[in-house]
Formats: sequence, C-alpha cells, structure tokens
Amino acid sequence: MVFNSYTFVLFFVLLLALHNLPFSWKTKKINLLGASYLFYALWNPPFILLLWLSTVVDFYMAKLISVTEEKNRRRLWLAVSLVLNLGMLSYFKYGGFLLENFTFLMNSLGISFQAAKPDIILPVGISFYTFVTLSYTIDVYRRKFAPESSFLNFALFVTYFPHLVAGPIVRPEDLIPQFKQPRKATSEQMIWGLFLVTLGLFMKVVIADGWLSEPSDLIFSLPFPVNPLDAWSAVLAFSGQIFCDFSGYSTCAIGVSLCLGFKLPENFQYPYASIGFTDFWRRWHITLSTWLRDYLYIPLGGNRVGRFRIYINLMITMLLGGLWHGASWNFVIWGGLHGLFLCIEKMVKSWTRKQSKAVIVEEMVLQAAIIPIRSKNASNFVLALLTFVLVNITWVFFRAPNFDSAVLILLCMFGVITQAPKMLSTPDMLKIGLVTLGLVTTHWNMRNRSVKNLFKSLPWWFSGSVWAVMLILIVLTQKSTGSFIYFQF
Amino acid sequence: MNYLKSVCLAGILVTLSLIGWESYLRVRGFTLSYNDDESLWASARKKVYDTSPAAPVLVGTSRTKFDIDLETWKSITGKAPVQLGIVGTNPRPVLLDLANDPNFKGTVLLDVMEEIFFLPDGSFAESSARKRLNYYPRWSLSQQAGFYINRKLEDHLIFLDEDRFSLNSLLKRLPIKSRPGVFVFPNFPINLSFTSPDGQMAFTNSFLRDTSAQHEIQSVWTNLGLLSTKRGVDGDTLTSIINSVAKSVNQIKARGGQVVFVRFPSSNPVWKAEQQAYPRKLYWDRLLKETGVTGIHFEDYPELSRYVCPDWSHLSPADAHTFTKDLTRIIEAKTKWPLQNSLSQNIL
Repeated sequence: MVFNSYTFVLFFVLLLALHNLPFSWKTKKINLLGASYLFYALWNPPFILLLWLSTVVDFYMAKLISVTEEKNRRRLWLAVSLVLNLGMLSYFKYGGFLLENFTFLMNSLGISFQAAKPDIILPVGISFYTFVTLSYTIDVYRRKFAPESSFLNFALFVTYFPHLVAGPIVRPEDLIPQFKQPRKATSEQMIWGLFLVTLGLFMKVVIADGWLSEPSDLIFSLPFPVNPLDAWSAVLAFSGQIFCDFSGYSTCAIGVSLCLGFKLPENFQYPYASIGFTDFWRRWHITLSTWLRDYLYIPLGGNRVGRFRIYINLMITMLLGGLWHGASWNFVIWGGLHGLFLCIEKMVKSWTRKQSKAVIVEEMVLQAAIIPIRSKNASNFVLALLTFVLVNITWVFFRAPNFDSAVLILLCMFGVITQAPKMLSTPDMLKIGLVTLGLVTTHWNMRNRSVKNLFKSLPWWFSGSVWAVMLILIVLTQKSTGSFIYFQF
Repeated sequence: MNYLKSVCLAGILVTLSLIGWESYLRVRGFTLSYNDDESLWASARKKVYDTSPAAPVLVGTSRTKFDIDLETWKSITGKAPVQLGIVGTNPRPVLLDLANDPNFKGTVLLDVMEEIFFLPDGSFAESSARKRLNYYPRWSLSQQAGFYINRKLEDHLIFLDEDRFSLNSLLKRLPIKSRPGVFVFPNFPINLSFTSPDGQMAFTNSFLRDTSAQHEIQSVWTNLGLLSTKRGVDGDTLTSIINSVAKSVNQIKARGGQVVFVRFPSSNPVWKAEQQAYPRKLYWDRLLKETGVTGIHFEDYPELSRYVCPDWSHLSPADAHTFTKDLTRIIEAKTKWPLQNSLSQNIL
C-alpha cells in the first residue's frame, strides 16, 4: 500500500478511528500491529513470513545475547541475527546480481558457465526493516540497552507501518519507549500531522510524479544522445524528483505517525543547501547515514585512525552505502563518487586548517587595508551551489539504467556531444526550471529552520490558504498509482 | 498559529473549490468519463478466460474501442466482449501476452490498423502496451482496492478524468510555444470522446455537432502522420512481424482458442493514404495467408463500408451500433461460431 492511494486513505481513517476508541493500550498496540501487517500484506501477502521471521529471530537472539556472559556465545547469537538478516537481503536483493557477475567472471576466465536467470521478487522494504532489526541486536550486543521484554512492543517496533517500507530507519531507543505508555495525538499533533501528510503528498504527487518524472524518464530511457540543455534538464528533473519523492514519503510517514501520537525522526534537512558533502550526508537520508556511521564507519575505526585509514573507511562505507540502494554497479559508482568527494573535502579542510593559521595575520592586515571584507554568506552560497552541481553529477549514475547510459548523459551534459536532438518541450523545461529554482531557494532559506517554526510565525489564514492550495493541486494532479522510488531499494 | 482555524479554512477552501470546479465542468456540458489507464486495463485482463466466441477478447487500437459497441454485442450474444484495446498502440505485444498465457483458450478479435500494426518490434507505439503488460502481473491487492474505490468516485465526478482535467493536461493546453525542433504530442479536442467503465470509447454529442473540433482532430491526424503515403516496412522486417504474429496465433489455436483479424473502417483521406502506404496485397492479404487466420476487411462488405468517419478514423456511436450488429452476423457466417443467442435471433 502506498500513502498516495485511496486504499491508504480508507485504511488510515479506519485506523485513526480505532486508535481513538476507548480500548486498553495493549489492544491498541495489537490493532496497530495487525494494521501494519495488513499494510504490508496488501502488497504481497506471502512476504509477511520474511518480516515475521526477522522479527522472531532477532527478538530471541537479543534475549540470548543479553543473558549470556560468555563472549563467543554472544558472538554466535549475534552472528545468527547477522547471517539471517544479511542472508535474506543478499538473496532477495543481490542474488541475481551476484549470479550475473559470477557468470561474467567465469566467462572472462575462459570457463564456460551459464545459469538460468533467477526470477527473484524483491520484497518491499527489506533493506529498511533488516537494518532496523540489525541495529537492535547489535546495540543489545554492545550493551547499549537491555533487550525489550515485550514481544508485542518489539514486533510493533519492527513492523510499525509508517516507517516499514521506506524508512525513516528508526533506532530502538527512539521508538520502543514510545510504545510503553498510552499515546494519543493531541489536537495540535493531529492537525500538524495532517499538514505534514499533505506536504508529503504534494511533494510526491504534484512535484515528483506530476511535473518531474516524465521528462526525467524520457531522457534517461533514450538510447541516443540529446542536446546538452535537455541532458541537464533531465538530471535536474531527477534531482528534484528523488528529493520530493523520498522526502515526501518520509514527511508523510512522520505525519501519519504523529496523528497516531508517535514521533519519528527527521530524515531530510534541506540537503540541496548543503555546503560540502559532509554537510550533504547530515541532511540527506539522515537515518541511513547515521546508521552507516554507527554500524559501519565507526566499527571500521571512523576518524580515530590514521589519515589514510580514514579515507579507506569513508570509501568502504560509501561504496557499501551505494550498493545498499540497489544491485547494480551504477549504485556502487554513485556511492564511490560520494566517497571520493568526501575524501577530497576532508583533504581540503585539513590543508586549509594548516594554511589558515599561517595566513590569519596577513589576512587581517589585508582586510583592514584595501580589500573589502568578503561575505561569508555569499561564499557559502557559492559552495552550496557547487555541492549541488556535483551531487547532480552523481545522480546521473544513480538514475541511468546502466553505465553506458550514464556516460552518454554526462558527455551530453558537458557538451562533448553537441550534435544531438532536442527532446524536451518548453513547458517541461519551465516546470523543471521553476522547481529547481524553488528547491534551491527554499533549501537555502530554510537550512537552519524548520517548517513548523516557519508556519507558527505565519498568520493562520495564510497557512490555511497554502494548505488548501496544496490539497487542491494534489487532487487535480491525480497521478495516484505511482509507487515511491525508494520502494525498489 | 491557530491550528484549528488553519485546518478549517483549508477544508472550506478545498471543498468550495472542488464543488466549483465540478459545477463548472457540468455547466460546460462535459461528459462523465473513466480513466483509461493501467488499472482499467488490468481489470479487463483478468476477465479473458471465458472460452466462448460470444465473449471475445478485443485486441487493438482506438478503432476497436470506438467501432465495436460492447452493449450491442452483448445484446446479440448474451455475453460482453473483453476490451483490451489501447489507444494509439501496437496490439502485437498484447497478442503475444495472450499467446504466452497457458490458461488463455478464448477468442481474439485483432484490430489491424496497418500504420501501427506493422511497426517494427520495440517501436514507441508499443510503450503503452508494455506499461500495461508490466503493471498487470504486479497489480497488488492494495492497487485493486484503490481502483474500485476510485471507480465509485469516478461514477459521480467529471473532474477525475485525468486525460482532460488533470493539472498536467490543463497545463499542456496553455498556448506556450515549444522549442523549435521538439516534437510535442498535439492536444486532442477537449470534447472529443469519453470512456465507459468497460473500456468502450465514443465521440461525445458535442464533438459530433462541432465541425471546428472535427477539423481540429483531423489536423491532429495530419500532424501524427496518418496521411503519410510513405510505404510501410518491408523485406525481412515485415517477414519477421508476420512470422511472430503467426507464431502467437498458432499458440492460441493449439490450446483450442481462435483468432480473427478485423480491418475497421477509415474514411478518405486517411483511407486513401493507408491504401498507398500499405497496399492490401502486400500487407493484409499476406498477413491472412501466412497466418491462416480468417480476416474481415470492411472494404469487402457493403454493410461495413458504408460509413463516414467524422474524424476520418473512427465511427460515431450510432454507426458503431449498426456496425457491430453487422460484424457479428458476418463473423458468424464466416466462422460458423454460434454468436447470436435465442433472444437476439428473435429481435434481429
């Protein structure tokens, strides 16, 4: 089930009504759990079993880890959890990819090997819920907290439908405690939650699906080169599309959850105003980047090792982060590019820190003399634009169907191929231009603010009118069946 | 911020706007229409397993959607055909899908509109078919439920017609000149046609009275190349197309199914252009010969060729009614299938 569907509207209305009836807290949690399984099953019922398996195994492995003092035994139970979750993920998500590359490798070595292409369905949300349960067992192993004694609370934590299929990747310590006490949304939370759902749907339905998906899909599906302006437009369209689609989903998830009385973490913080790639990963898919930091980068040594090792750790983290997104070398390249830019940024920062001590006196003299004081805001904006451009270049690999297409688009973007047809109409380019300008401007102005604070500062009639305009545009756009991009990850 | 006042204002503004918009469309005389999308197609695709020739599967372009009147067919045979036609789309991928479905043993009426039918594999004209064929196997329970909920709303709200009144469709009608050299799909007249829940398409009364709208659609066909007399594919490409159709036909026949080709009417100048670009001997006759399939060409029957298409390419609703009656009679005579039920035999 997707948020942008009549089925979900009906489901949510019924669930809200049920959640606000005078049942016991335990009954309400059972209702939420049942609703979450139903939410998932309406996509493909048999795959509930995988979700169930992950839930049951991790609940009991965590219990065993916590009652065992013997180091090897604890490691064994953790290994069971890791093998199950990563095994499921490997099979369903990477099975075909691994076989394809194995076949290629064998054939490259002159060994004739062919295997029938396996027809494996990727269970929706598997990348997300396996990471959620893994963080639980790993944190219990690290003795960060005691395992949850209530199976109901744990099962609800794993399966809670707002975050189940596309995040935010919630940490146990953020969500499980919320299930321990009865919770119901206050009227302010309910209204704000509904506003967030509207905002999320507006981003997804109107902007991502309505205005940006068609030009992006058209150009990226073409087997021939296009005019440089069309290539840039398609990449900017995808850049806007993936942000509005994914951030729209997360915003809906947070809003839906708030209507039920539960708080989910923010997942995006105006990433297209990032100043550098370190800042980008503090603003883009925040719950994934913090998960990778805590369970991959830091265990590898993080920043606590020598400079060369830091760069290696960064690259490993980003390469695996790229691979998490999909079973394709294009995603690995995307992750690798981000890793590379992060490393370059670290090198530059390290070098400038050394230089700045030497020149600080010189600069003070110069500035006092004839050179006007440089605006930090202006230079930050320029750096943010540079970051935005580089992020867009990496999106080419993320979106292109294969490596050759990605290279073709880049050659078109940078004018290496110039004699190529124009494909996008003026209205499409106007929409892309408007959205890109709107996104960059909004992100820059909002980078240190929150939507809630902004709306609190506005008159009620203005907020109400903006809300109405978003709802009307959602109804008029009507692309109600498109699923979210991150469902495929 | 006063949250309650904001939400109340938003609710009032949305309700008034949508009521106003719906009222405006009704006052303007627009007809209720259903979205002819992947979900509608999927709902029809589920129903193809009746093996009776009285409930054939209609595979083709918009001609099959306009020219066969489903209610008339049902009144004659007692069973409704299943409409799998897709506007502006090559029907060969759908034929292949039915051929590869081991459970399909029914009857196919296949629309042969030469300028689309004889396009090479992988052409742009297959994209809508590919979308539907990818969508159908993954049509989840949630999507099915959404479809039926949407159906209830579509029963009453004109503005839910995505093709005509969605935000993007309305924006496409703005007079913004496009970049030179960029092909922009022309807009059809907004009062051209409507779609029924069973996939039936028909011209609106307003279009049939509006000669300027008819000139507009004729201009669209001209822009889309329907008047082109450039010879269609030939050589190995044509042979490959015919062979693939023959293979699909044989697969269906081997399971006890049936296939009949139908060439629906078109009027001059489109008919004249089609004859030049796709001479009957080289395309239609060769297709029938090499597939061994019965074919019904409108040109061969006075009762099928007496019509004038208002837009050169599709029949009016009244003509579709009589055309369908005559077509069922001709199919029955040619194939000896028992199509007419006892009730219709008394009427006819």
